[in-house]
Amino acid sequence: MAGPPLLEIDDLRLGYATERGTVQAVDGVNLELRRNEALAVLGESGCGKSSLAKALLRTLPRNAYPPTGQVRLDGRDVLGLSEERFRREVRWVRIALVMQAAMNALNPVVRVGDQVAEPLRIHRGFSRRAALQRAAEAFAEVGIAGAFLRRYPHELSGGMRQRAVLAMALVTEPDVVVLDEPTSALDVLTQAAIMNVLKRIKQERGISFVLITHDIATSSEIADRVALMYAGQVVEEASAQAFFTEPAHPYSQRLMASVPRLDQDQPPAAIPGRPPNLLDPPHGCRFADRCPERFDRCSEPPPATTLKGRHNVRCWLHSKSRGATT
Amino acid sequence: MANGNPEGRTAAALPGTGPAAAPASARRGLLRDVRHLALFTGKRLLALFLTVVVGVYLTIIIANMGGQVDELRMAQIQSEVAEQVRGDPAFHDLDSEERQELMQRQIDLEVERLRLDEPFIWRSFDYLRQAIFLDLGRAEEMHSDAGSRQVYNIIVERLPATLLLFGTANLLVFFVSVFAALSLSRRYGSRVDQGVIALAPSSAAPGWFYGIFLILIFAFIWPLLPSGGMVAVPPPEDPWAYAASVIRHMALPVGAMFISQIFISIYSWRTFFLIHSSEDYVEMARAKGLPDHLVEQRYILRPTLSPIVTSFLLMLIGLWSGAIILEQVFNWPGLGTLLFEAIGHRDTPVIIGSVVIFAYLLAATVFLLDFLYAILDPRVRIDGGSQ
Repeated sequence: MAGPPLLEIDDLRLGYATERGTVQAVDGVNLELRRNEALAVLGESGCGKSSLAKALLRTLPRNAYPPTGQVRLDGRDVLGLSEERFRREVRWVRIALVMQAAMNALNPVVRVGDQVAEPLRIHRGFSRRAALQRAAEAFAEVGIAGAFLRRYPHELSGGMRQRAVLAMALVTEPDVVVLDEPTSALDVLTQAAIMNVLKRIKQERGISFVLITHDIATSSEIADRVALMYAGQVVEEASAQAFFTEPAHPYSQRLMASVPRLDQDQPPAAIPGRPPNLLDPPHGCRFADRCPERFDRCSEPPPATTLKGRHNVRCWLHSKSRGATT
Repeated sequence: MANGNPEGRTAAALPGTGPAAAPASARRGLLRDVRHLALFTGKRLLALFLTVVVGVYLTIIIANMGGQVDELRMAQIQSEVAEQVRGDPAFHDLDSEERQELMQRQIDLEVERLRLDEPFIWRSFDYLRQAIFLDLGRAEEMHSDAGSRQVYNIIVERLPATLLLFGTANLLVFFVSVFAALSLSRRYGSRVDQGVIALAPSSAAPGWFYGIFLILIFAFIWPLLPSGGMVAVPPPEDPWAYAASVIRHMALPVGAMFISQIFISIYSWRTFFLIHSSEDYVEMARAKGLPDHLVEQRYILRPTLSPIVTSFLLMLIGLWSGAIILEQVFNWPGLGTLLFEAIGHRDTPVIIGSVVIFAYLLAATVFLLDFLYAILDPRVRIDGGSQ
């Protein structure tokens, strides 16, 4: 998994205008994704993970301020591209998106095949016939019969729609596929089936994934690396192995403890308190109010510290300058 | 299809099943669709017919004031016959008893002709039958400009004037507002957008209200356009000059309706498009890199075509009844004016005739819409076919 980063997110900041002020949904996020790597971005609802996904494809709602920072693809910043160039050069050519299909990700009045084939016609100038041919191949790849190309979205079950949306993201062979809660609304069996398809595609096609989810179990299935977000910031980023076995940040540890387990007797532990208000986030560590290991320094913003390997954590407990003032 | 995985996976494992099974199942599917379509059509026609019958019958009851009009008519016949007999020199030398008898005979004849001796409730069903078969009968007081007393002729003579005026105004309002709204929904919150919102309450005043001001300004203070009527008097011989004259006469009433409707119409369509442009599939389409005009065509307009077409067709048939006051203000010889006169004369056949034609038009439109929905929205189509 060596090689230069395919996608680098550098100090990305993003806010929404609301009636009560600016909500800083993403506040200085740094992430990198290498080729053929799957990065899971974990977090509770409202932590900014979906905003991050939207910022990557620039599909932010109208009340969002233009994001600042850099998003580099192969070293080239795409955040500064004009709307038209971004549309032609990045969307679905380099980065594709998989939304929750159980919601409304497919146009109800257009045949599924035409929707799946559409990116090829837009970006590659394919004829309808050729594009449908490729769509059929993509359907086969995600495990749907080609006959379903001629169906309308409502004639497909939730699982099939999710597969169709996935096929749509694969037709143009993008480098990065952003999966925004791809399995959240599906039953467990369907979830597992979709995750298997994703794993296979990752192995066969060498596509990189950014998996946005709140579901720790799902993310552990496929992720090579995990980034945990809290209140608009990445608090810990590590290889999946390191993150799931020895989480460093107190929030990560509490989060892992809150997952129900069959093999242990103790009940899952909830984290008391609630995330800070992003209209006016605290100056220091954002988790401090809920953190049992809080100490004086936590009232100042914690620095990003790199532990061994590519294991980054934003917590005073791990900082070399810990206790400098105590 | 509660869970798609099993189907999806088996189908993928047996790639031959889909295409091979397609023709047979398609034929069966077609047959089933046709049968279903026939059943659906029959049911809809029956329901709509009942609606028309109920609507027309209610109008008959109301226009006859539940039979009260008969008494008025009775009194009217008596006075008319008396007038006639007294005024006729041929009957002058009859003595009063004979004259009385003559009058009574004539009244009886008239009563029999109008079948006023039968109870109203019986006649009402008769009226209903005639109305349903579009036998609209003769007007009691009114006649067409060409002199016909047939209700049908009277209405048909006025129809084109109303359609021309209201058709022009409403088509203009409809298309201008839909396209303006689409572009505004893209510039949500801009100055133009806020301006339109601020002006929306201007539609609280009806068209004729603005009409009065327009006449004052453009016909009197600054005499550019005629204040009323449909064509200059005498009408120009040359067809082009005639058309030009009609257009000049239309300018003010069309302008008045446009002013009174345009802002609220843009506002409501804008809101409609805003709601529909926040659908997930619109976001998806943008993420896919579709250019804006394709996103608008395929992902905003196309899925919302059913309500747009509905409102368009309902507007079109709404035209035909016109607007009573606006036509009065502009002295426009249309159906609004006709209805106004008919109510004034208590000319029941004309009132009922108008309603009957409108009821049929409405029913035909609703029927047409049912089929348009099925064409425009696959969900309507398939749900109907499989359940």
